[in-house]
Amino acid sequence: MNIRLARPDDLAGMQACNLQNLPENYTMRYYLYHAMTWPGLSFVAEDQKGRIVGYILAKIDEEAKEGEAPHGHVTSISVLRSYRRLGIAKKLMLQSQEAMAAIYKASFVSLHVRKSNRAALSLYRDTLGFTVKDIEKGYYADGEDAYAMELSLARFMIDTGTIPRRPTLEMNR
Amino acid sequence: MSKLPNKRALPSREAGQFKELLNLYESRQLKKGLKTADLILKKFPEHGETLCMKGLVLVHMGRREEGIDLVKKGVRLDLTSHIVWHVFGLIQKGEKNYEEALKSYTQALRFEKENINILRDAASLQTQLRLYDALVETRHTLLRLRPNLRQHWVALSIAHYLNGNTKDAKAVLESYLSTLKNVPPHDVEQSETLLFYITLLEELGEHSEALSVLDSNSRSRAIVDRTAVSETRARLLTKLGTPEAEEAWHTLLERNSDCYDYYAGYLSNKGHTLTEPSPAALQIVSDLAAEFPRAKAPKRLSLNLSTGDEFKSRAEAYIVTALVKGIPSLFSDLKSLYADPAKKDAIEEIVERLREHYKKETAIPSGSEEPTTYLWTLYLLAQHYSSLGQHKKALELLEEALEHTPTLPELHTFKGRVLKRAGDYLGAARCVNDARVLDGQDRFLNTKTGKYLLRAGMVKEASNVLGLFTKKDASSPGADLEDMQSMLYLLEEARAHEKNGHPNLALKKYMAVKKIYDEIEDDQYDFHGYCLRKFTLNAYVRMLKWEDNIRGQASYVTAALAASKIFVAAHDNPNLVKSLSSTSELTDAAKKAKKKAKKAAVKAVEEKKNAPTTATHDDKGIEPQSNKDDDPDGLKLLGAPDVLEQAAKLLAPLTAVAEGKGSVGVWCAVYDVAVRRGKVLQALSALGKAKGLDAESPEVHVRVVDLKLREAKLAEAVKEGVKKLYPGDVGVETFNSQYLQRQEGRAESVLACARVLGLLGAPLEEVDNAVFELLAGERAVGVKDAVKALEFLRSIKSGREEEFRAACDARFELSTAFKSKEEQAVIREQVMTRGPNGGKDEAVTP
Repeated sequence: MNIRLARPDDLAGMQACNLQNLPENYTMRYYLYHAMTWPGLSFVAEDQKGRIVGYILAKIDEEAKEGEAPHGHVTSISVLRSYRRLGIAKKLMLQSQEAMAAIYKASFVSLHVRKSNRAALSLYRDTLGFTVKDIEKGYYADGEDAYAMELSLARFMIDTGTIPRRPTLEMNR
Repeated sequence: MSKLPNKRALPSREAGQFKELLNLYESRQLKKGLKTADLILKKFPEHGETLCMKGLVLVHMGRREEGIDLVKKGVRLDLTSHIVWHVFGLIQKGEKNYEEALKSYTQALRFEKENINILRDAASLQTQLRLYDALVETRHTLLRLRPNLRQHWVALSIAHYLNGNTKDAKAVLESYLSTLKNVPPHDVEQSETLLFYITLLEELGEHSEALSVLDSNSRSRAIVDRTAVSETRARLLTKLGTPEAEEAWHTLLERNSDCYDYYAGYLSNKGHTLTEPSPAALQIVSDLAAEFPRAKAPKRLSLNLSTGDEFKSRAEAYIVTALVKGIPSLFSDLKSLYADPAKKDAIEEIVERLREHYKKETAIPSGSEEPTTYLWTLYLLAQHYSSLGQHKKALELLEEALEHTPTLPELHTFKGRVLKRAGDYLGAARCVNDARVLDGQDRFLNTKTGKYLLRAGMVKEASNVLGLFTKKDASSPGADLEDMQSMLYLLEEARAHEKNGHPNLALKKYMAVKKIYDEIEDDQYDFHGYCLRKFTLNAYVRMLKWEDNIRGQASYVTAALAASKIFVAAHDNPNLVKSLSSTSELTDAAKKAKKKAKKAAVKAVEEKKNAPTTATHDDKGIEPQSNKDDDPDGLKLLGAPDVLEQAAKLLAPLTAVAEGKGSVGVWCAVYDVAVRRGKVLQALSALGKAKGLDAESPEVHVRVVDLKLREAKLAEAVKEGVKKLYPGDVGVETFNSQYLQRQEGRAESVLACARVLGLLGAPLEEVDNAVFELLAGERAVGVKDAVKALEFLRSIKSGREEEFRAACDARFELSTAFKSKEEQAVIREQVMTRGPNGGKDEAVTP
């Protein structure tokens, strides 16, 4: 499995992967918006044939208030069912987190997850170390609540919290 | 500027009102704006600029036609005002008519040469239209007018770059970088600009200069994207051939030890590739595997790089680990190794041996292995045999696995895949639906079921299943999937409609795919300004290149070729639309679709009414609202007089791509359309290209004969061209039989020869016999070929269709594609109702 930075020519594959896996979908324009605003934050996993089998679509939260430290946000992450159990989601997540910290000095990363999606909740909480910060009532279009989750990115920073150091793929084992 | 024409000059009171009107429009206070415009027009009803502004306001208020009429009137009344042309240009841009919009902007600039807003919009239009010469000029003007704006510098540099003038791009960027002062620390915009500058140096071959700029700016932390720094550095060092390159690639591997590009870089630096077996390369990758124990890539790469016993022992360890872990993608991971037959055999031997071992261990209570390991072994073996065409063996293995664990969705989906390959589309859909029922929360299984149902032609059932995950407020599941740009859904449903004999409905879906590509092309427009403000320059130029080629994507190619074929068929058969309209089933579907569309439209209007009426909500925008579909069944489209022109338009972007990709299918389609449009030279050239790519292609053969038959009606001047494609003096019949002999009875060629006989007007009996040749002897014929042949027999109204069907049914024993209509109806009934436990307990129609 090849894990690498997403390029514009990956966007169609990411969109197709998202449509196959998740109920929250976006038009190409939204993918382009991510790629043209934060070109260093989204990553893909491709199989031996170069087909996109997993992706993370990420951004920096633009609604952060003046004076607040910027933080990253995972818009969407998923891996095709047939490519699960390989730890792909975790690898994608760590690559993106490191980039958030290094490029944008993001102090933490946030994401939303459906309350009913236990598999995802367990991945974010148990494998990746996210914690539930809040419950957002009726966050999804169908009325379902979302857990708002967060994870500090301090571990990607050296003391002062400004200078990124080597990636720490071995975290959270 | 020269003196204002009298009719434009307003007295001071009205002039003030006009200014206010402009401000009101800018802040989208539309109602107030309309009132103000009316005040002016009361006294000066012929004031062109006010008329245009009123028209623009009306368009934003949703009174589009009325507004546009006013704008046009305004333009006529004041042809030398930049305002009227600017407004007109805005309207045209809103309609995505970029060419006309640019003309209007150019007019506006004639009368107001230095208007920044107009110049910026013009630049975006020039980029959208890829008019890079003109773009450079516009960017120059903007920079001259506002040199203190940073983005004007990078904009000119980008324009030069796009125009193929990298040197000037570099020079402009250098002046810019050297004049910058007080760059804040950790500035992302500056970082991106520097990375683009380094890209320019690299493309100019100035590698050492690029490296030194990169190094000094990453040391000073002016460049903050560390991945980009490390990747660029490794690439440059490799190009420079310095020994430091190795360390640079290694640094990247530390950062991401699952990136194949980094392994490729590391190995190529030492003279190896990722695919060519070599003991030295294997050693390197083994060392990396030890260094990065969590990484999967080096373990997998070692299977590429090893051979013989070394391969066997590594492959076994790799496979055992994956089986114990239960990794569903193991087979697709290994598949690429099958290119080497020795490796394929070795894998088969290993997995068969493992199967024996796990079977024994699982059978005894004290066994050391988990039963799931045995299960995944059976799954892997089934995939192995199915890929070799041994479907029965694969099914036996799957049955054993299912007996063992009936609740693993993967076993059902793969069983579905085997049946699909064997031609049992209905059984395949049933199995995948069984998998879906086991995990109803999983959209992946849901999508797969929808796809398989469509493959089986079950359009309604597919819609019901897919609808479990689409938005409830959409007018239909398909409408939501289309809004979300699902190519998979559109293409599969189109194929299903074709299969079911509804080319008109298929055409609608293919055209929906085309429309999505139009949207994606339009999407880039706003980024021409946006990326320059954000300084995401490398991403931006890559995006433009990607947009230049999007119509080479498989989804577009498939849709364009299929739609073109349908258009051509409609042209050849003027009765097609009539015969389609008379099928009752279709009118039912059409009625339903109409009713639904109407409901949705009413609902949309009501929702708008209920929306809170703030200033912004009053604004309907400048783009036309998508009007409701007045041709839901596609019959108007199919019956239009310009079907061939529509087909030509679909194919036009493909020819640029086909040059590169070399697709016989594209050139044959171009021939089909061109020859019917009387564009003989284009037809000849297209067929020539197809023949050049694959002279013996059955599709080319049919068309060469088609051309020969048209020869008599062609002008003398082009007959030379025909000779090049159809050399010699042999008669067409001989030409055809010679081709068949050369092909030694390849299935596709047999059918092509039968088609040619049809073209020649041979007696039906003779054509029939030619098709039946397919089933003679032990010819290698696939289900798909046989289906095509059956469809062909149907299309020529052969009397032996039934006989052919029955013969195929006997021959392809697993397939249901050749069952009689009655038998198929029975099997179809079972698809949605059987359930994974044999249908004893559940009915699962959603």
